[in-house]
Amino acid sequence: MTFTLVQVIVGGLLLGAVYALFSSGLTLVWGMMNVVNFAHGDFVMLGMYVAFVVYTLLGGGPLVGAPLAMLLLATLGVIVYFALIRDIMKGPMLAQILGTFGLALLLRYSVFWWFGANFLSLPENLVGGTFDIFGIRIQASRLLAGVVALLVTLGLHLLLTRTTLGSRMLAVAEDATAAQLMGIRPDSMQAVAWAIAAGATGLAGALIATFFYIVPTVGETLGIVAFVTVSLGGFGSVPGALVAGLLIGVIESLSGYLIGAVYKDIVVYALFLGFLWFRPQGLMGKT
Amino acid sequence: MRRYVWLLIALALVIAYPLVFTTPFQQRLGALVLLYAIAASAWNIVGGYAGQVSVGHVVFFGCGAYAAMAAYAHFALSPLIGIPAGIVFAVLIAAVIGGPTLRLSGHYFSMATIAVAELARLIVTNTEYLGAAVGLSGPTVPRNVFDLSFISALPYYYLFLLILIITLGITWWMTNSRMGFYLRAIKDSERAARSLGAPASRTKLYAYMLSAGLTSVAGALYAMMFGFVDPESGLGILISVKILIMAALGGAGLLFGPFVGAAILVPLEEISNSLLGGKGAGLTFVVYGAIIVLIARFQPGGILSLINRLWAKRRAGPIEEKVAEGASHAS
Amino acid sequence: MRFSYVIGLCSAAVMSVALAGNAAAQGKTVKIGAIFPMSGNAASIGVHVKHAFDVALDIINNPHPELGNFPLAKNGGLAGLGGAKVEIVYADNQGSPATGQNQALRLITEEKVVALTGAYQSGITLTASAIAEKYNIPFVNGESVAPNLTERGFKWFFRVTPIATDFARVYYEFLTDMKAAGAKTDNIAILHDNTEYGASVANTITTAFKEKGIAIALDVAYATNATDVQSQVLQLKEKKPDVVIVISYTSDAILLAKTMQALDYKPPMLLADDAGYSDPSFIKAAGKVSQGAFNRSSFSVGPAGSPTAIIAKMYKDKSGDDMDDTVARQMQALFVLCEAIDRAGSTEPAKIQAALKATDLKPDQIMMGYQGVKFDDKGQNILASGLIIQLQDGENYVSVWPKASAEKPPSMPYKGW
Repeated sequence: MTFTLVQVIVGGLLLGAVYALFSSGLTLVWGMMNVVNFAHGDFVMLGMYVAFVVYTLLGGGPLVGAPLAMLLLATLGVIVYFALIRDIMKGPMLAQILGTFGLALLLRYSVFWWFGANFLSLPENLVGGTFDIFGIRIQASRLLAGVVALLVTLGLHLLLTRTTLGSRMLAVAEDATAAQLMGIRPDSMQAVAWAIAAGATGLAGALIATFFYIVPTVGETLGIVAFVTVSLGGFGSVPGALVAGLLIGVIESLSGYLIGAVYKDIVVYALFLGFLWFRPQGLMGKT
Repeated sequence: MRRYVWLLIALALVIAYPLVFTTPFQQRLGALVLLYAIAASAWNIVGGYAGQVSVGHVVFFGCGAYAAMAAYAHFALSPLIGIPAGIVFAVLIAAVIGGPTLRLSGHYFSMATIAVAELARLIVTNTEYLGAAVGLSGPTVPRNVFDLSFISALPYYYLFLLILIITLGITWWMTNSRMGFYLRAIKDSERAARSLGAPASRTKLYAYMLSAGLTSVAGALYAMMFGFVDPESGLGILISVKILIMAALGGAGLLFGPFVGAAILVPLEEISNSLLGGKGAGLTFVVYGAIIVLIARFQPGGILSLINRLWAKRRAGPIEEKVAEGASHAS
Repeated sequence: MRFSYVIGLCSAAVMSVALAGNAAAQGKTVKIGAIFPMSGNAASIGVHVKHAFDVALDIINNPHPELGNFPLAKNGGLAGLGGAKVEIVYADNQGSPATGQNQALRLITEEKVVALTGAYQSGITLTASAIAEKYNIPFVNGESVAPNLTERGFKWFFRVTPIATDFARVYYEFLTDMKAAGAKTDNIAILHDNTEYGASVANTITTAFKEKGIAIALDVAYATNATDVQSQVLQLKEKKPDVVIVISYTSDAILLAKTMQALDYKPPMLLADDAGYSDPSFIKAAGKVSQGAFNRSSFSVGPAGSPTAIIAKMYKDKSGDDMDDTVARQMQALFVLCEAIDRAGSTEPAKIQAALKATDLKPDQIMMGYQGVKFDDKGQNILASGLIIQLQDGENYVSVWPKASAEKPPSMPYKGW
């Protein structure tokens, strides 16, 4: 019993790290630009397909796939920013939902059109196998994703708090007009933020692809988890997303094991709502 | 005065539509436009006028849909009986969750409503009484006219039209009352509205409850027309998004905005699906998605605000109150 | 503001005109409507079904003497209608009961189809067939298993597929035989999603087993399209059941197989209920780590040169995938429908309905492993049945039970990877 419980918690932590990994990009743009990106899950999906194409064409694993996905998605992020986001940011929040939801459909079904609707998958042993530590099983692919999640969180946090670029980005987030008066171009800063966010998301997708199935509609499943993670952590807080992700992962695992798998999402949503009612700004968000 | 003439002409056209376009599919398309217009107009009260972007309105939609089907499935009553029951449930739920949720600002409010909707869907999926995952069906063979199970879409069309007119009437009445005045003030700046003595929390809650009740009527009508509800079709988050998109696309916060949105999106969806869906390459949604993106990009305030602005420019005369309102939303 | 109505109407009008006028002369074709998911989560079903129906049309519309006695194969077109060709009009149900019903109406009234088939998801079959019933158009379903579909007193609805009660019987008899052969089958666990499919099948199996005096020891339900199934697998691993019955769609099945490997869990016997485990993309994605999995099916490729083998090959050439049970059942429904239209010698719905009621196909006239096709008063095929297949040596299922139709003996225990 206790032994299985340890395995459940370890599994929950690894799962939570993955949630944090694919949520960090969302929290960045959401917090910095006050933009809701309904297409976020589909960015993850694109990262997964990049990993798949890299594997089928070049036989490369995530060592090739992940950086490439990061690069391609970052480029896409910049394109999306200049072609769409820059304009809808100025509109009401509804226009953002409208625009990014349309974008989500466009991306999802373009991939569908090109790759078809079949479920795809990468081989199990692409990233080592499974470690067995005193009977606790840890999948190498999930461990890798977890470690990268920590690194990405740390990297983004340092970037925002310790570098000039970061403080400029934060300045724009705080007050774009004031930042402009200080000689910072809000446009470029926000484009950079989109590039970083989309890049991190693509990276996440490529890593998740090593242990998840790949299908055009997978973004729907993952997107809503990312939404909950980000708002629990507090919009814009990268460390918040990590803590929230880990928390959700462990709660899901534990409630799934102890109460029953059909109830785990009910538990997560109920706790999330209760929490939001007590602390409306999320775990680490600013008021 | 001229405004009312135009309104009457438009009404006459809407009444005449199913008599001019007489094939069953065209009539059903018209009925669907009106049905979604009801739902989107109901959403508009809280999402458009009060500026509280609820993405979880499907909870109220589901209240109506499930109440209507449960009335038949459990009590062998006409699904119509479910309408008042659905309204009661929806308003009660809105009152309970509205209190704490409406305190949340901006995106947190939207997220909380999504969580409420997902919670409702998951709970219903595990509730035997409500048919769990299998769902509830309406009368397959109508027993009498009160089962509202017709072959032709014509009765649905005029019933939906009547309810849409009532919904818009209530909305119009609300916007011209003290409540509408408060809502506009809250939307512009809640803090300022509060400091001027507007009862912000109460006003928002009332708007939320009103919107919830009307949304549940749309849900009940939907379930009656299709004769079926299950967790995905009655409580799926995509229905919320669809309603929201219609209102936003037509023009949120404008009386006829949701109707315009529904009149564009419903035919667009059904017809692109009819023409492209059978090819099985997902092209329907590529087209659908692209059009939404383009509208959001070039007309973020919705189609109706654009029309209003063009109209105002053409006349270049005294700018109407509505026009000014539409333009300010677009900015 | 006053423009709103005008614009709204104009757009509706333009769209309507685009739809008008499809009732033009049809020549010598018989139009059949097919409603399937072609977008959304179940889109791969629609893609497969189109390939399968292309093959079926090829067989029906062109002479295929190599298929021997298989109905409609010998000559081109439907002989009963003077060689008329069959044409399929497809519609996407988008995974929504409302869309499914709208499209059924469109196919009936705009495209003037003489009969309908579809719609995969039971909830959509329910709403789409309700419209067919109102318009007096036959609806032949090949794959939806929800029990209530044939309990509605419909006169125009026919279902060819076996349903959950049939599967439960197959499982019981199979497990009894396995027990007689020395396998342990006392402690049974069911792992299922809580969709209408998963929940109703699990329910039926539990009830049927209880009637035979067997209690299901563990019932693990989960929400479909899960992001993670570790806790479910650990629950099973801890309780160590002898048999795990898995009822899940493709997405969860893939995740489950991968997670079982990661957590090193192998039940002595894994018995899957079709759906996900039959999907060719499951076999590609997770077949290598699911060796020895038993699965329920009604389709098995016969010896080389047999009609089933020829049809399976035609399908593989067309789609690139192996024929699976789901798509085969859908194809069988189309054959049943076309055979009835041919026998009716008419495209009048009432005559087709009468012919469907009189359907009596023998095992050698169908491509499925049913004992035949014959409908009861409710429209359910009473001769539908299933067999058990097993994933052995690589990525192919072979039939292992019942003995009469088995290609190979069942191999125990579950190997996994």
